[in-house]
Amino acid sequence: MQAGLSTKNAPSPKVVLPYYAYGSIAFIIATIVMFFTAGDLAVGFITPKILSLVHIMILGWITMIIFGALYQLIPVVMEVKLYSEKLAMASFITLGLGTPLMAISFWFDFISDTYLMMTGGSLVILSVIMFVINTLGSAVQTVNKTIENRFIVTSIFWLLLTVLLGLSIILFPNIQAYGSFQIHIHLGIIGWFMMLVVGVASTLMPMFFIAHQLNKKCLERAYWFINGGLIVLLISMFMDLGNYAKIGAGLVIALGFIMFFRYNFGAYKKRLRRSLDIGMKLSVLAFSLFVITIITGFLSAFGSIIDASILTKLNLIYGVSLIFGFLTTLILGQMYKTLPFIVWLKIYQDKVGKFKTPLPADMHSQEAADAHYFFFIGGFALLMGGIIFSETVLIQASSLFMLVTALLYGYNTFIILAHKEKLKPLVFPKAKPRVVRK
Amino acid sequence: MAKIDNLNETEQEILEIIKTVPDPEVGVNIVDLGLIYEVEHFERDKKIEIKMTLSARGCPVGDTILMHVQTVVSNMFPGYYVDVELVWEPQWTPELITEDGRAEMDNGF
Repeated sequence: MQAGLSTKNAPSPKVVLPYYAYGSIAFIIATIVMFFTAGDLAVGFITPKILSLVHIMILGWITMIIFGALYQLIPVVMEVKLYSEKLAMASFITLGLGTPLMAISFWFDFISDTYLMMTGGSLVILSVIMFVINTLGSAVQTVNKTIENRFIVTSIFWLLLTVLLGLSIILFPNIQAYGSFQIHIHLGIIGWFMMLVVGVASTLMPMFFIAHQLNKKCLERAYWFINGGLIVLLISMFMDLGNYAKIGAGLVIALGFIMFFRYNFGAYKKRLRRSLDIGMKLSVLAFSLFVITIITGFLSAFGSIIDASILTKLNLIYGVSLIFGFLTTLILGQMYKTLPFIVWLKIYQDKVGKFKTPLPADMHSQEAADAHYFFFIGGFALLMGGIIFSETVLIQASSLFMLVTALLYGYNTFIILAHKEKLKPLVFPKAKPRVVRK
Repeated sequence: MAKIDNLNETEQEILEIIKTVPDPEVGVNIVDLGLIYEVEHFERDKKIEIKMTLSARGCPVGDTILMHVQTVVSNMFPGYYVDVELVWEPQWTPELITEDGRAEMDNGF
């Protein structure tokens, strides 16, 4: 038997599973908070409630699941053991404690250095620093220097800058005059989330689609376009260079994402499995919604050329389509492609070959998954409608659809986490038929 | 080593046993996925050698599949030393999937 394969490298499930449990609960809470934030979302300006909701979504839901999934996926992508399981557990506790403190402080005190904010923010930064040490500590061990790994490592540097700048804004509000708020948002969105998504998705999508012989030059170009464009964008925000620099940077970043899109579309077209399971259906939906993010993100770079009320809506759709659309859908889908395997390996790793075991795909309720797929689409359409027409009631209706989505998703997450061993006796072939390869 | 297109009766039997091993992600047995390259049975040495690959490097369930193969073959051939070797050459390509495997892949999802 071979050593050094991913299962042997995988961390203990107790390191990873709490992230999925916490993330699914945070998503439920976020949808409830969204109901009470509907009026603010309809207006479109940044308010205490919106900042609270955004941080529950970004830290409690998206970052929580991404951290957990990455601790599991690093062995897959980098073919190494995780640098430290203790750091991974500590980063869960600190992120889990820090996020609600920050969300509460934003809700009641907006951007101010309250005791809650400073404690929560420090815990989140501590969590991020531990995550950075863990992922970089793993990355230096790998001999697998692929473009996908480079995306992941780069995203981690951007993440560190994002949270450090976020805390600086709280501590030194005067720096907002230098575009620091915009820089914080774009560092987080493009540098951290998107860079990471490109690296992980470009590894996993072809694997799940069972697609081979893809053109990796697209990814190489995407790397330089996105990073180059991002640096120009950040400089133009810091130095207030005006719209042309931002439009140019936006165009280059958009080109980078189109390259990434092309790579994954190539995998989709070359896929062997023609019908898609729920995980891949949601992932394909995520990429479709990402088109809205690219278009509105690019258009919002035109800034003062556009009418102020339209620009406010464009900015809001840009952020919402990314957080509630692309990233949420991708996480909903990728849960089905990662969590069942982690639990399946934990329960059945030593039983294979001795008993007939269920497959990872059998561990969740297909009905619940299909239902939340449609509830999500309904909720997202209502959300977009609510923002475009500034209708609070549509956003409230959207939050109810999203709540049902979150509850059904949470139900599936917890039945996978609570899966009990189901074994049947093995039936071996008695005859000795010839195997003819066709 | 015997390629799987040219197996004796016992090796065919071993291949049939390996057919009970599914790829947990795809839900199709690994023989029809084309992951088994060679099977050889050594009667005198009480040894079975199997060479196989995986559809992707870093497959998260890779060594569980290898262990599964070793367990089912060892169960059916008690007293034998079963060596399951993972190879990356030749690289697996989708062309290695049998027609049965392709049909199963689309029916299963």
